[in-house]
Amino acid sequence: MTAPTPHHFIALIEDACTSCLICVQECPTWCISLDSHHEEVSEPGARRPRTVSVLDDFRIDYGLCMYCGICVDLCPFDALEWRPRVGYQAEGRDDLVHDIARLDGGTSDG
Amino acid sequence: MTEIAWLRLAADPGVRVGSLPLACCALEVESAVRQGALRAETAADGHPRETVLLVAGTVTAPLAPLVRMVVDQAPAGTRVVAFGACATSGGPYWDAPSVRPGADAAGAAGVPIDVYVPGCPPPPEALVAAITGREVAP
Repeated sequence: MTAPTPHHFIALIEDACTSCLICVQECPTWCISLDSHHEEVSEPGARRPRTVSVLDDFRIDYGLCMYCGICVDLCPFDALEWRPRVGYQAEGRDDLVHDIARLDGGTSDG
Repeated sequence: MTEIAWLRLAADPGVRVGSLPLACCALEVESAVRQGALRAETAADGHPRETVLLVAGTVTAPLAPLVRMVVDQAPAGTRVVAFGACATSGGPYWDAPSVRPGADAAGAAGVPIDVYVPGCPPPPEALVAAITGREVAP
């Protein structure tokens, strides 16, 4: 029997995320949610100010997540990736909801 | 006590493990048995030091009272593990009218959960980690 492979977790590369919501829409269990706002960017010489999305928060509810990886596959900007994960379990249901601070680390401590 | 198949933790037979096999997560419990982490209880095992109940699968509205009954009949101090996404939150069926959004969902027949094990399904070693309280190495 081969050695068991622990689940990985899905990490967010915050700088790459454009808040496009594709992951949120395509997740089969609706376990991803994000908050963003728009900011106007004026560049010298531009005919009009441009608008960019700025990510405020990004949450994955690991209590719902099926670890299917559809979000990782579909992200057009490679802002989500698999990383080895140390912890699985939680004593509180809310502890399974990882916000942007917990999704952005090198490895998750659970 | 309602008849459920009692298991023992192979590494520590003082830990008695009961599985409520409600859906496919029960196969992961079986897998832990096949891998040797859990084994069937025998008459020689004696009184358990610790009891762990696994809610392994989807808790539907008709089954919720049964889950409640098994948990109520368990010895005091029994730890209840929500094993997998369904028992934790309803999993992929969380918005289905007949599925309770987790074994601990508020309302009738919700049971208090001590440890939530995410995953659809969680691997057997996550099960052992939840029973022993030790996290899995990366």
